[in-house]
Amino acid sequence: MKSFPRIIYTLVAVVAGLTIGTLLFIPFNVNPIAAYQTMFGEAFLSRQGIGTTLTKATPLIFVGLGTLVAWKSGFYYLGFQGTLYLGATGATLVALGARDGHILAGIPSPLLMVISLLAAFAFGGLWALIVGVLKVSKGGNDVLLSLMFNYVAVYLVNYLVTRPLRAEGSLPQTERFPDRATLPRLLGETNDLHFGFVVALLAAGVVWYVMRFTSIGYQFTSFGLNERASRYAGINAKRVTLVAAFTAGGLGALAGWSQVLGVQYRLLDGLDQVTGFEGIVTALLGGLNAIGAVFAAILYGGLVYGAQVMQRRIDIPSSVASMIQGVIVLLVLTGPIWGHFVARWRRRNKSNGVSEGIAVQ
Amino acid sequence: MSNILTIAFFETWFVASIRLAGPVLLVSLGETIGQRSGILNIGIEGVMLGGALASFAVTFSFGSPALGLAAAVICGLVLGLFLSWMYVTAKVNQVVAGVIFNAFMMAAASYIYRALYGNSPAIQRVSGFGPIKIPVLSELPLIGPMLFAQSPLLYATFVLVGVIWYLLFKTTLGLSIIAVGEHPRSAEAAGISVTKIRYFGVMCSCAFAGFGGGYLMLTAINSYRDGITAGKGFIALAIVIFGAWNPTRVAMAAIVFGAADALQLSLQSAGVSIVPQLLFALPYLLTIIAVSGILGVRSQPTALLVPYDRT
Repeated sequence: MKSFPRIIYTLVAVVAGLTIGTLLFIPFNVNPIAAYQTMFGEAFLSRQGIGTTLTKATPLIFVGLGTLVAWKSGFYYLGFQGTLYLGATGATLVALGARDGHILAGIPSPLLMVISLLAAFAFGGLWALIVGVLKVSKGGNDVLLSLMFNYVAVYLVNYLVTRPLRAEGSLPQTERFPDRATLPRLLGETNDLHFGFVVALLAAGVVWYVMRFTSIGYQFTSFGLNERASRYAGINAKRVTLVAAFTAGGLGALAGWSQVLGVQYRLLDGLDQVTGFEGIVTALLGGLNAIGAVFAAILYGGLVYGAQVMQRRIDIPSSVASMIQGVIVLLVLTGPIWGHFVARWRRRNKSNGVSEGIAVQ
Repeated sequence: MSNILTIAFFETWFVASIRLAGPVLLVSLGETIGQRSGILNIGIEGVMLGGALASFAVTFSFGSPALGLAAAVICGLVLGLFLSWMYVTAKVNQVVAGVIFNAFMMAAASYIYRALYGNSPAIQRVSGFGPIKIPVLSELPLIGPMLFAQSPLLYATFVLVGVIWYLLFKTTLGLSIIAVGEHPRSAEAAGISVTKIRYFGVMCSCAFAGFGGGYLMLTAINSYRDGITAGKGFIALAIVIFGAWNPTRVAMAAIVFGAADALQLSLQSAGVSIVPQLLFALPYLLTIIAVSGILGVRSQPTALLVPYDRT
């Protein structure tokens, strides 16, 4: 596989995944080519569709960035649903505090954005830091701990919106946030795209730069690659894990920040049950690379939006998007073994005198 | 508060504890074999979901819970073949493979349910396994309703605790499984096929997870909706660790978790006003304590999570 650039392989996997995905349309008597035309046409070829696609990509980018920071450092954090909920809570507290007559009422809108962003980052960062601390101090299992904290976060938000933060009315949700506290729209009021997408791109740029060009990024990556060698090289193991945990949690929390301030304008029960895991899958599709995560998130965002349009028009379950992404990522991950099959097939052809002599491993 | 400390309160609590422990215990038993062979199979959450859906669909169509349960196990085996290929042959990082698989299964189950019953299906109930009272024994105070008036699947689960304990610690196969999980290279040198043993381990964990999904569906829930397993597979993973990879201790750990799960039902029916979300979160909080290392770290199979490469 070394001779094969990763990006080419990923593109091959995308095409193969979409081809396998055509099977999903058969039970619904839908022509897959027409279906894909509709999906991608809606998602990527109209101004309205592009706005929605990028809006859906935004939280995925944040979770994807959190995933790569954690996983590259050898911290297998799976708690992004939890950090998303915590980030949403932090943003909600700031936004509700900006209502008339509350403490943040007089603060101008741009400053409110910054405060809510910091609050969300801190909430999610500290939430993930609990797992980091348990891992480095007590030898706790990061994988299972982070999974369990997801459920606790869901019940925490459920409690907040049914008791202390509940607005008048029949639904368990908070009051609608004042306009000053929400993220501005970028392409006019009728288009979904909001300022959170710009923040996601900036965050991706920062993560890319830090991971690639700074000492702490180098420490993250080398620690993830070889823990023991890094210790000998003088890297402080505990510090790397803790910094990675806080940063990853904070980035994951911005997914919640962008969802409540840019899309929902209030905190509600069951606010997002998929992004925490789909974002991890997206990060893997992007090769655990910040730039890759952005492209993968946009591709998947478009796939999800296209599938939702399909569900409305011709009653196909929108979960086909997630299934197709799953197949693509499975193909990417099992890449080496397919490479092995291809190599063997080529060798056989060569011995039959058919091949034109491609070097194999 | 005094009105909760009655015999009736404890009786309903204990009975519910054992009852709720059943499906998770079953899944934990299979996962014990898998982890002993060196594979941490996070995918059991997705397999449980698949088993639950398979048992629902088959019971709904044919009206036979036994057939539904068989479908759940078969579904587990099919998914197990794929997962063991991922873990053992393709050597994908076990955490990554499990997470992707679970995300895929969440979507796939939702898709299949809608493909079968339409895009906004009405909630359908299926019949399941009712409790079987064992004569005489079920008349005993407290112990009777706890242990002898339960679902037949619970009796089967408790029998399996013994079977798997025997398999792991008293048979050659069990010894091979443990050897492969501790030191695969030595095991291979002794003529044990690491690949075969690990396939067996993952297939066991998946068959049990499918069975557990069917168990959950046919004794407790009886109707399907998305995400119905609600992290029970993940809790089973924690129970295996908490139970130190030993079937009898795993059984005790599962009952502790069942008790945490049952407490909210009992307290609510006793009319105690505690924030319900805190009670719902209790099993998950207990899991956090169990795997946090606060209670001491148990030594896991040495080769857990390490793919085996012969070269």
